[in-house]
Amino acid sequence: MASSQATVARAPALAGARRRRRKHGGLTPWLFALPALAVYTVFLVYPAFTSLYFSLTDWDGLSPNYHVVGLDNYRAMVSDPVVVRAAINNVIWTVVTIVVPVILGLTLALLLNGKARGKPILRMLFYTPGVLPLVSIASIWGWLYNPNYGAVNALLRDIGLDSLAQPWLGQNSTALAAVMVPAIWLRTGFPMLLYLAALQGIPHEQYEAATVDGATRSQRFWHITMPNLKPAHYIVIALSLIDSFKVFDLIYATTYGGPGTTTQVMGTWMYFNVFQYYHAGYGTAIAVVITIVAIAVSIPYVLSQTKEHDR
Amino acid sequence: MTSLNAASVPQPVAALPDATVATQDRLPPVRRKKGGIGTTVVLAIGALIWISPLVLLILTSVRPLSDFVATGPLAWPKQFTWANFSDAWRIGRFATTYRNSTILLIMKVPIGLLLSAMLAFALSKLRMRFRRTIMFGVFLGLTIPIYITIVPVFIMLRSFGITDSLLGLVGPYLAFGIPFEVLVLQSFFRQLPDELIEAAKIDGAGEWRIFFTLILPLSTPALATVAILDAVATWNEFLFALIVLNSDVNKTIPVGLLNFQGQFANNNTGLAAGILIAVVPILLAYVILQRWIVGGLTAGATKG
Repeated sequence: MASSQATVARAPALAGARRRRRKHGGLTPWLFALPALAVYTVFLVYPAFTSLYFSLTDWDGLSPNYHVVGLDNYRAMVSDPVVVRAAINNVIWTVVTIVVPVILGLTLALLLNGKARGKPILRMLFYTPGVLPLVSIASIWGWLYNPNYGAVNALLRDIGLDSLAQPWLGQNSTALAAVMVPAIWLRTGFPMLLYLAALQGIPHEQYEAATVDGATRSQRFWHITMPNLKPAHYIVIALSLIDSFKVFDLIYATTYGGPGTTTQVMGTWMYFNVFQYYHAGYGTAIAVVITIVAIAVSIPYVLSQTKEHDR
Repeated sequence: MTSLNAASVPQPVAALPDATVATQDRLPPVRRKKGGIGTTVVLAIGALIWISPLVLLILTSVRPLSDFVATGPLAWPKQFTWANFSDAWRIGRFATTYRNSTILLIMKVPIGLLLSAMLAFALSKLRMRFRRTIMFGVFLGLTIPIYITIVPVFIMLRSFGITDSLLGLVGPYLAFGIPFEVLVLQSFFRQLPDELIEAAKIDGAGEWRIFFTLILPLSTPALATVAILDAVATWNEFLFALIVLNSDVNKTIPVGLLNFQGQFANNNTGLAAGILIAVVPILLAYVILQRWIVGGLTAGATKG
């Protein structure tokens, strides 16, 4: 029993050194923790901090020489119209791809929690887009949106709305909205699952008691269902928020940031700067900004998870 | 009749025992009443519309291009053919990308699972200093966008000489998989009774033996769920693969699909077949393993 940890109370008479070791568990926990922590540090923590340093340089990503230019890259971002466009797009993207999937997901969950039949298969169908590779989702929707042979325009023509048929991904006015549709498609399933799990956890006695007291259907919804869903709202919104900052694949594979720079987001603009225009310093500065925003908004969630699991 | 229906109540969180607790205080079977036809119809129509892009994809992939061009994308096929699949398979180099994605999966998923389980065990069942700090640091990884690391990781891989190699993807994939895996696994381990571990210790078992012969076997459901979700994420990952892999012989399915999409822009039926080839393994895995996938997603989010 060299490195036991949970027996402190049973052996109060041990020597001080031994007791300290018991309290902190000694070396063994670290041997368990080390491999994962090492990989995590080498491939995530260390690169993230290195990016922080690169963002202060004028490095092009190729040559061995570069200069530290301080905050120049960050200053340049303010006057870069594409960064402004990308930041606005990120905000629009975040709001739309959270609000719409959450409302749709909650609606589906409420319906699925009712008296419908074949629920497992219905639930499975609604979640299906969520498991597909984002690139394949981009391919599918690029194909549906095809101006000449796409199903979307064909459908509009079939129902007599020829005038609405248009190159959805190829024009400034509709491109961003058109890319958000597949995002909504793939992201509605997740809130649905979480809300469904939460709804099934609401004790039925609450509804019974309310019914006995003569509460109407909408009263039961607003005074029992919604308050019980509060933790689910929190998790759904926190996770969606985290996810929406990472948007890259869908935009890259559908519009490539275009037409022009209409659908650039911070992630794609970072990529273009680093790998197309060889502005590695500037590109990493963009990545740093979005990472800081992402961390800042999700710290409450991470803290709550840490506390919840460390009781 | 009414109580029979209850058997079809979905069990989204049944895969992990901690979550099963929540399913048990669901409505008892007696509460189910007749009806629900209206809701069922509404949901069924909704579901049909929801998956209509996939249905259309399947229908398009089995018709000749001439038929597609002649009658349009929404018409029911007049002729059927498998030729699109063989064309797409060959031109899209799917034999290569399938092989690469599979190799990557086999290299990455078991290692990631073992490393994460070890860390999760230390965090949940062993007494260690800075535990809370480590948890916070690891969970923070959930929020970090991959692209903050790509430039330094790319340089690192270049100095190891493993750019344009599947091996180069293993490290970054492991690092980005660890936070979620640890979150789910430690939450599961925490619910295994301490008495079991105490009893094993009294029998003289050390931590390693306890971990491998007690904790891991008892956690098979959680490990399976995490492995499946991790396999899906690995199979689907795009950004690192795009940056690290250059030659066609090394590309994984998502990157290969993107190239293929460009080449087949004017061959709608071939494109549909290629997209299907790329997603069929994921769709099959999802249909077969959906109980575990759904359970893991909900448990990962509600419990951690």
